[in-house]
This record gives sequence, structure tokens and C-alpha cells, in this order.
Amino acid sequence: MPAITVDQLTKTFRTKVRPEGLGSSLRSLIAPEYRSVEAVRGVSFEVDEGEVVAFLGPNGAGKSTTIKMLTGILRPGSGRASVLGLDPSRQRTALARSIGAVFGQRSQLWFHLPPADSFRLLGAVYEIEPRILALRKAELVERFGIADYMDVPVRKLSLGERVRCEIAASLLHEPRVLFLDEPTIGLDIVARREVRALLSEIASRDKATVFVTSHDVGDIERVCKRAIIIHHGIVVVDEPMKELRHRSLSRKFIGVKYAEPVDFDIPGLAPVKRTPTAASFVVDTERLRLEEVLRALVGLGELEDLTVEDESLEEIISRIYGSAPGDRP
Amino acid sequence: MSLRLKARKYGVAALASMRNRTAYMGSLLGDALSYALFVFVFSRVWTAAYAGRDEIAGYGLQQMIWYFIVAEIPAFGFGRFFSTLAEDIKSGQVAYLTARPYGFVGYGYAQGMGKAAVDCAIYVALGLALGLVLAGPVPSGPPLRAAAVLASLAAAGSIQYLLQLALAMTAFWAEENSAFFWIYQKLKLIVGTLLPIEFLPEAARRIAAWTPFPSLSYAPARLFAAWPGDGAALALIGTQLAWASIAVLACQAIYALGRARLTVNGG
Repeated sequence: MPAITVDQLTKTFRTKVRPEGLGSSLRSLIAPEYRSVEAVRGVSFEVDEGEVVAFLGPNGAGKSTTIKMLTGILRPGSGRASVLGLDPSRQRTALARSIGAVFGQRSQLWFHLPPADSFRLLGAVYEIEPRILALRKAELVERFGIADYMDVPVRKLSLGERVRCEIAASLLHEPRVLFLDEPTIGLDIVARREVRALLSEIASRDKATVFVTSHDVGDIERVCKRAIIIHHGIVVVDEPMKELRHRSLSRKFIGVKYAEPVDFDIPGLAPVKRTPTAASFVVDTERLRLEEVLRALVGLGELEDLTVEDESLEEIISRIYGSAPGDRP
Repeated sequence: MSLRLKARKYGVAALASMRNRTAYMGSLLGDALSYALFVFVFSRVWTAAYAGRDEIAGYGLQQMIWYFIVAEIPAFGFGRFFSTLAEDIKSGQVAYLTARPYGFVGYGYAQGMGKAAVDCAIYVALGLALGLVLAGPVPSGPPLRAAAVLASLAAAGSIQYLLQLALAMTAFWAEENSAFFWIYQKLKLIVGTLLPIEFLPEAARRIAAWTPFPSLSYAPARLFAAWPGDGAALALIGTQLAWASIAVLACQAIYALGRARLTVNGG
């Protein structure tokens, strides 16, 4: 049985339009105008138990709205969602016992209290026997390396320390599905690396299904096995990470630097950036043979440097965003 | 799941809220100072109002000052939930609370009462000290009065929290709902907080009796300052419990209707 099933899920928000000027404001008191925004427009996918899936998309793509519908926070406009066989909007409380959720922009820890207090409260909320809670807490504190912060008020923790505590807290009740909405938002490189390592460990050790939304390609590259890309409220890509990376094989980034100024006049190949002695090219290897391009570049003059790189995952995804169909009406 | 574990979450939530409230002693002391100042000013106002009179509407000056001291405890201790609750609903932050295995109204109530318990403990201690200095000895009453007043204060606080939650939840429909709270505050002030309801004209008193407002401050203050007799005391507390039950049902119904309208800012 899939852990998550989403079938033609939609969500439309209705927001009041506030026109400019006093007259318009007064008119809107009598006849208010509303604008509908289709945040999610018929999303469908399945996630198997134990899968680690990245749910990607630019700002306003519908990622957070989808995750909120899957955790029972928002009710869908239409379509069907099922998590562990339960309907999130109708069986919210039952589902809450089996899922964990970390929202990067919303803390579940009490700001003025140490994390230990929030752990105790969350343990009580999930109805964990105090004796079992103590064991579970000790295990998570050790695994996440947060022993030194457990008695420090959350407001005094760094963002990275807080996120580690947040993720540990979300695992107290041993959820079968863990939803993470932008877990690394605002973190520096070191803290991001630590959080990614923790997510990898959760996936391999806890055998939980992990569903991560993120802007950060590094998160998914290192942690996830599959990527679902959403844009303008519809799924535009749903494939294993390996296949997504294979998309880079058809595009190469070439950089060249010459000892003397050269004329970069190569038929069918225009530089994307150039100076008199250096240039960079993007080569579509399905159209041009790499070997021929390199031979032509070598023949232009005395080479000082030459680099050939695959397209990064970040660039692949940006390209997908750029070419995605279904622009807003 | 055992009933014990189900109930425990609300107790732990109240305790966490109490601990959270004591995180900043400065804030607690500031609120206590406001209460003391308010009591002092009004004790002078009542002293001036009673010049040349032994009693007004059955209350002597000493009783009146004690009445005011007790009536202000629920007003200060339980009176300020609305803004936070309404803002959480308007911004959609409240949605995150709904994705956990607890009753929304019960959990919020436990947290609200936890915070208010700390405040009220301070106001009770401070109020007693101020009363002894400004009014003199505690008015006479039976031994069970202390328990009755504490029960009445708890009921008054519960109704105040629930009514404010119900008003805050109108934000599910109304973009701007602070006017509702403004009206509620003013009625609460007139009906039993600044003045005992015996001070109101007969017609207004009859109408007030059918509203929850006398249950908010009047009931505990009356029990403390002018014990009305065992039967009447029981009736006052019984009325409070009835209003608390109505307020719980109202909150549950409003929440059930309003939840479908929840939207969360930023998706």
C-alpha cells in the first residue's frame, strides 16, 4: 500500500482585493471584490512506504499548500488525498498520531522554554507513557547531538541548533511518515550539511517515509531518491533522482581561456559569455558532437585552460521551471 | 489509549504555559504594578463617592473596596486572550495547532488557564495585601467562603477565556472583528467589574441577569465582599457553570464551522 496517495488534488484561495484610493475602499465595504488564486490545480502522485521524496518548486508553486493538505492543516478544494490509508482532512486526529511534521517557518518548540519542556509536552500530546518517552528522548538527544541545548531556552539557540531540536521533537512519537517543509530555510552551509546528514539517517535508520519540500537542491541531491517538481500548481516532473541527473548528460558547460585574443567564430556554437581571450559555451550534445566542439576550440589558438562540466542539478531544475507548461491564466 | 494519558496532555500543556509565563519576571511585575495602581486609584474614587454615606445599594465602603479588588482579579488575570487568539486565526497560524491529536478548544483552554493561574495567584496575594491596607479587615463570611470564591474565580476565568475565543473565532468570517471585543469589554466593565450589578437600574439588572456578564467578575467579588447566603452562593456558582457549558458548546460549534474556512498565509 502506498504511504501517500494524491489524486487530482486542488486548492483555491479566495482573497479580498483592496483597491487603491478612499472611494474604492468605501465601495469595497458595500460590494467587496474577491480574487481567486489557484494554488494547487490537480496534483496527482503516489509515494511508497520508506521512500524519500523531494517535493520541489519555485515560490508560489503550491508545495506548502500541498503539504498542508496532506497533514490535515488545510482542506482540499477537490480531489482526494490519503496518507497511511487515512483522509487527512476528515481523520486529522488519527493521522496526527502516525505522522510527524516540521515546518521551517513555524516552530513547535516553546520560544521562552528549553527544548526539554517542549519534548515533555509533545510526548504528552502524543500520549506516550512517561517511561517510554524518557527512553525515546534520551535516544534522540544522543543521535541528534543536542544534549547541550536541552536546558537552554529556545530563544537562545542558533537556528541550526533549533532545527535539530525541531526534527528530533517531530520523531518522538515514531511517525511512519515525516513531512518536512523547507527544513533548511535560513540555515548556513554548516548547519544545512548537519541537517541533511540527519535526514539521511532518519531515512535509513527509522525506515520512515520522508516527504521534503525545499528550495535547496543540495537537500534533495544528498537525501532524496525521487523528485516531484511542481510548478504553477501542477506536477511537471516526477522521476527518480538518477533520471533527473541523467538530464544533465545532454548538456555540457565548456570554459576556455587562450594565451592571445581569438575569434570565437564556430558554426552552430555561440558563446554564452566571452572576453577577447576567454569564453564559455553551453553545448547540447544531442545536436553537436562534443568531440567536434572540443577539436574546434583547440584549433582556435594556444589554450591556457579548458574545463568541461555537467549541468548542475540546480540548473536542470531551473530549466524545468523555465520551460514548465501551465502558466497562470 | 488510556483516559489518564488523554487527560495528561492538557495538564502538561497548562504546566508548560505556567512555566512560560514565569520566564520574564519583569512582565509579571509590570502587570502586578498596573493592578495595584488601578486598585489604589479606584479605592480613592470610592472613598470620595461614599463621603457622608454609610452604604450604596447595600454595600458599605469597606465592602465596596474589597469588591473592586476581587472583581479586578478575573478582569486582569483572564481578560487579555482575544488579541493573540484573533491574530493567530487571521494569520492562519492557528492551522498548525489543528494538526495534532488534541481538542483545539480544550488545549487552548489548558494553555490559557495555565498562564492565567500564575497571574491570578499574584493578584490574589497582592489584592489581599492591598485590601488590608486600603479597606481594612476582610468582610465577614462563613468558612467555606474561600473555597467558593476560588471556585467562582476559576469559573469566571473559564467563561472569560471561552467567550474571548468565541469572539476571536469570528475572524474566520469577519476580516476585522476587534469591534466585537470592544463591545464585550465595555459591557463586562459596566456589568459587574467596575460596579456591582446592584448599582444598575432595575431594568438593566433584569436584562443583565440573562447574560453571562454577571458571571465574569460580579460572582466571585460578591461572594467575597458580601456573602449572599449559602443558597444564593450556590446559585451564583451554578449559573457560572451553566454559562461555562454554553460557552464550551458555542466554541466547539464555531470552531467546527470556521475550520473549513482556514487559510494559511504563504500557502
